[in-house]
Amino acid sequence: MSSSQQPISINPTYLKNQFARRFVRALNNLKKRKGSAHDNQMYRRSGRVKIAAYTAMASVVGSRRAWSRAVLSKIKNRPRNKELLRSNRKRAEHRIMSNLHHRHHAKVSIKRRNPNHIRDEVYFNPFKYSGQESKLRKLVPGAGSMDSWCLVDETADYIKCLAAQVDVMQTLVDLYTAT
Amino acid sequence: MSSRRSRTRQSSTTSRISDDQINDLVSKLQQLLPEIRNSRSDKVSASKVLQETCNYIRSLHREVDDLSERLSELLENTDSTQASIIRSLLSQ
Repeated sequence: MSSSQQPISINPTYLKNQFARRFVRALNNLKKRKGSAHDNQMYRRSGRVKIAAYTAMASVVGSRRAWSRAVLSKIKNRPRNKELLRSNRKRAEHRIMSNLHHRHHAKVSIKRRNPNHIRDEVYFNPFKYSGQESKLRKLVPGAGSMDSWCLVDETADYIKCLAAQVDVMQTLVDLYTAT
Repeated sequence: MSSRRSRTRQSSTTSRISDDQINDLVSKLQQLLPEIRNSRSDKVSASKVLQETCNYIRSLHREVDDLSERLSELLENTDSTQASIIRSLLSQ
């Protein structure tokens, strides 16, 4: 695939830095609302840390990707998480605005590559007998209804972001452990 | 899209997408998978690539779970400031 057909993806270093900033901010907010350290509270907190991590990554990516849109809307629809989202929203909105232009281009390029891509999906499915595709759809947020081309594209981006997320989280664990 | 309908229609029409494009698609994913990144692409089937993709995503999800747990424990017991963390992160 030539580079002109690749949708714009975020520079990995920028991605990690932005994620780290948002995530650390969210962690500090969690820390501020310090309750007593009961075991079940600890368990709930680890859940909140996890949600904070996914939220931070999705809001770095913004509306550019179907998977990040799916994550953000899922979090938005859970009232308990609204607080988390609020701290990220301003920047996310900024990002959405600045990405509208890019997104438009991405859509156009997909159409140009394959003008009948939705109709083609019915004819073309390289993975059709593998049974793996439906498993993949369950793992990638928002992948339920997209065609195979988009699925692979979104999956590739999702993997890159997840790997970056894990990397930064590991770095944070190391840093917190060292201090 | 593994419904019966899509299979029957597939057999009755010609695909407009070339084998090259299919290979591109699959090798693009393959490049991201540590397990099979270095295998020659003609040795790895599309199904194998998808399977490895699922495994890799699951393992990343598990890592996020573990790291979240570690972080929540550390958060409880640490006084490090946001500034120092970010500074050391950005200086890497």
